[in-house]
Amino acid sequence: MLSYIVKRFGMGVLTIWFIATATFVAMHLVPGNPLAQEKAVNPVIRANLEKQYGLDKPVTTQYIIYITNMLHGDFGISYTQENRFVKDIISEHFPVSAELGLLSLFFATLGGVLFGAITALSRNRWPDHLIMVFVILGVSVPNFVFAALGQLLILKLNGWTGTTILPIAGWDGFGSMLMPSLVLGLSTMAYLTRLMRATMLEVAGTDYIRTARAKGLSTTRIFLSHQLRNAIMPVITVLGPAIAIITTGGFVVESVFTIPGLGRYFVQAVQQLDYTVIMGTTVFFGAFLVLMVIVADILYGFVDPRIRVEAGR
Amino acid sequence: MTSFTPKPEDFALLAQRPSLHHLQRPSMSYWQDAWRRLRRDPKASVSLYLIIALFMITLFGPLLWRVEPAREDLDVISYPPGLRIPALIVTDPVQWPGVHADPAALVPADPNSTQSLAATTTIRVEGEATTQYVRLTWQPVAGAATYLVYRNDHTPEAAGDLGLPLFQTLSAEELSFEDRLQLKPQDYWYTVIASDGVEEASVVTTMKVPVQRALTVSQARERGLDATPGQIVSLGAHPFGTDTLGRDILARVMQGGRVSLFIGIVAPLLFVFMGTVYGGISGYFGGTIDAVMMRVTDFLVALPFLLFMILFRIAFGIGPGESGIVPMMIALVLLSWENTARLVRGQVLQLREEAYVQAALLLGAKPLYLIFRHMIPNTIGPLLVNLTFSIPMAIFTEAFLSFIGMGVAPPTSSWGSMSNDGIKTMVNTPHELLFPALFISVTVLAFNLLGDGLRDALDSRMRSRE
Amino acid sequence: MSSEVVLAVDNLAVEFATWGGSVQAVRDVSFKLHKGTTLAIVGESGCGKSVTVQSLLGLIPMPPGRITAGSARLRGEELLGLGAKALNRYRGKRIGMIFQDAMSALNPTMTIGDQIAETLIVHTGMSAAAARQEVITLLGQVQIPEPERRMRQYPFEFSGGMLQRAMIALSIACQPEVLIADEPTTALDVTIQAQILQLLESLQKSHGLSIILITHDLGVVARMAQEVAVMYAGQIVEQGSVDDIFYRSAHPYTLGLKAAMPGKAAHKAQLQVIPGSPPDLFAPPAGCGFHARCPHVMQLCESNAPPLFGTTHQARCWLHHAAAPVHPLRQQLIASSGS
Repeated sequence: MLSYIVKRFGMGVLTIWFIATATFVAMHLVPGNPLAQEKAVNPVIRANLEKQYGLDKPVTTQYIIYITNMLHGDFGISYTQENRFVKDIISEHFPVSAELGLLSLFFATLGGVLFGAITALSRNRWPDHLIMVFVILGVSVPNFVFAALGQLLILKLNGWTGTTILPIAGWDGFGSMLMPSLVLGLSTMAYLTRLMRATMLEVAGTDYIRTARAKGLSTTRIFLSHQLRNAIMPVITVLGPAIAIITTGGFVVESVFTIPGLGRYFVQAVQQLDYTVIMGTTVFFGAFLVLMVIVADILYGFVDPRIRVEAGR
Repeated sequence: MTSFTPKPEDFALLAQRPSLHHLQRPSMSYWQDAWRRLRRDPKASVSLYLIIALFMITLFGPLLWRVEPAREDLDVISYPPGLRIPALIVTDPVQWPGVHADPAALVPADPNSTQSLAATTTIRVEGEATTQYVRLTWQPVAGAATYLVYRNDHTPEAAGDLGLPLFQTLSAEELSFEDRLQLKPQDYWYTVIASDGVEEASVVTTMKVPVQRALTVSQARERGLDATPGQIVSLGAHPFGTDTLGRDILARVMQGGRVSLFIGIVAPLLFVFMGTVYGGISGYFGGTIDAVMMRVTDFLVALPFLLFMILFRIAFGIGPGESGIVPMMIALVLLSWENTARLVRGQVLQLREEAYVQAALLLGAKPLYLIFRHMIPNTIGPLLVNLTFSIPMAIFTEAFLSFIGMGVAPPTSSWGSMSNDGIKTMVNTPHELLFPALFISVTVLAFNLLGDGLRDALDSRMRSRE
Repeated sequence: MSSEVVLAVDNLAVEFATWGGSVQAVRDVSFKLHKGTTLAIVGESGCGKSVTVQSLLGLIPMPPGRITAGSARLRGEELLGLGAKALNRYRGKRIGMIFQDAMSALNPTMTIGDQIAETLIVHTGMSAAAARQEVITLLGQVQIPEPERRMRQYPFEFSGGMLQRAMIALSIACQPEVLIADEPTTALDVTIQAQILQLLESLQKSHGLSIILITHDLGVVARMAQEVAVMYAGQIVEQGSVDDIFYRSAHPYTLGLKAAMPGKAAHKAQLQVIPGSPPDLFAPPAGCGFHARCPHVMQLCESNAPPLFGTTHQARCWLHHAAAPVHPLRQQLIASSGS
């Protein structure tokens, strides 16, 4: 198991290096290198930048400086705000995004597994049809529409009852987290429901389920100890990529609900062309996603005996 | 089970065997069969029609609905969907002197008086209340120094609910107010309160005024409408309503659809092609080449997709508020081909091992022949499915980027950027968000369902079910 | 012949609803299983032999499958038409089942021990600890070495032969009266096949098992079975004792099967094939299912379905009709019936 984990982490480090390099290349080699351009920038920041990135030195030296700084966890200084370190911006705003992301991942997984199981068990009967209609809507309606509808719903609810059932925006307490994370998790939930339904049906048709029936086990027992366990495994493998979908979706939801997360900050940074924040956030998010995929893989290794036992040898 | 009693002649041995029982069904090519099955799937066929309809609407719609999508009409801002917008023609407004009381007849304000003021009485609307102007007059109140006018779009429940005054008279003689401030054709509640200069009257009078849409004679002439005062004219239809700049949403949806569908179709075509070539090479040569090429795709998968879409755009030197359709397409192609490449590689690797390909190789088939005769025909089904599912992805990406202001920018519009505009006025005029969002959703839904149908129809395993 | 009947199946008919219409997979199948004996059901793939036994325990997917007629009585208790709950009192407890591919027939994410213990706990109400002890005993009985260690392993850690042994241990865990073995050795090497068959034989003796053995391998039949039923196109075309079937074959299809078997005498003649393919079960022929491939086909075979002729040795062929021309096959049936 240990060697499996070490191998996965080795690949992860390599991937993060690739992301950092790709970011560097995108910002430096494509015509219109923003860092070299004489855009109207505060001279203090300009001087900082030149020192930080060695802009007067050749590209290779700049690259080495860039990678060395990254290794020290130094993402540079904001391009538009004096004396604001990118890593401080990240450490201030990322926890909010992480909370939002994890909560919506929780809702998405819970809902996906539950609804997926229900649809598979009631195949071709009305609960199946009903849920599948919602699933197809969930993957077809862009999440900003869900965000808008969610906010409208809160507004109407508050209007009808005359009290503040849920806050419309902001990030303060569970009440304010509920709607954004539900909205954010919706498309992932739809995707997981579909996946869960497919694997449940696949497992239901396997020989070992037939064996379980031949053993005289009750339907409930077959469902719980044989079908569910095997069907849930593919769901675990897509949790890593699901986090990626949720994080990027977070940009929109954070913007609509004015949640002070890294996604909303990133959108603002993009609008202000804060290059260093954009680069730093890209690499940071990239590294975070790589890490999440590894975590999901390791989790899968623990659940699936085939990988656990093989890796143990 | 047999009431049949055989006669001796039934037992004659047949010299010739009856022809062997035929297990054959009507022969049908792979594509004929797939097409037949696709047409039988109601969801897929409806989606196919929907997609054709969407293309028709965006391509030929503007030829029929000849409304300039960029034309702003400030007379019909955020107008809900309607086929007819009636407007009253009124004479060009002349300076209104207003109503002034004779100062001698007024009871002057007494700053030391502790007695509270009475309510204003008999608020009247002078002439017609139209979007051009609303003219109010009222009776003087004893002891008033000035009057405050409030306007609300709902019934004010208490004095505290009034908000800020719209207008305050300069003197006690002034007993009228002409409202020309951004009037919309709706009901307004006007409140006039007398004030002794220090304190406002505690009793208020509110009047509901229905405001009618109106054009002045000269405005009507400009539009080429019948310019007879008192006449009701129609301001042109807006089946989907108008946006905050008075632009026709139907025309904009059709124009935006061209952008969204262009990106949504062309980008997937390009990256599916690129992925096919890459995956084909990787799978065909195999070995080290394959291993290296696939490692590259592994890295590509790990990139945070949307962040790099934005990064590319910035790298191209396109700032916020500028349209970057071409860079968006390039970025989409560069970042999205990996899925297709894996699919094609897997397919080619599998096909290489198939007996009939091996046989062709033994018979001396050239690589090109193999690729065109065996590889491509056997890969095209899954590729078609892959393409169909890539289209919603590309449309979503465009909508997402435009939504956060990183895609197309004015004057170009797309469904995503229209949604971004619409969401700001969502509470009062939901139709501005509804229509672009509906078009995105329907398009993505149709392509998703068509993809599902295609996958099922092209899956040869399903053939045996029949 | 022992006379105690454990399982009696009468006039069983099963059909499957498909897109193209209903397939009549099993038609008018009847047989009896006697205590302590083995009944082999032989036939080529797709002849309905697996569907026949799986429908007894309600294991065919329903829908699309449907039992349209017949009865199956285990010591007089009717099995067909029971609900899932009622059937569970028989499944695994009184009728055990072994499947062809043990690798896919066992849950890949559950240890072998747990899968066997599960049956014990459900049917006998044993405690988990007692069930574990019992599993060790069972694994020992099927000659799996180091049962304590092996029971904690997963199916993918077992070899094919070992898996089939575990599968057998699972099926006999609750001391069933009947064991249904659906092609138990087809996926195995010849040497392993022999070991598994030996194991089944010894378990039959020690446990007094009655076995239904599904196979297409006449070699396995000759070794294991006392009674044989030959199935073709959803019907039993011939049944009788193993000697009846092998030495006094009374149906042209059985003859064809025997000729197609690579036996010890294979050196002297070329392997025979039966020309043509089985009929389309979407629309079974009005007459004998085998008529198009039969070397002895007669005028009436094409449109008249033959009944079963004979008493203990039965064959579904018009050649045995009293008015039929004298044919060597007919002598076979008469000979065995007379004995």
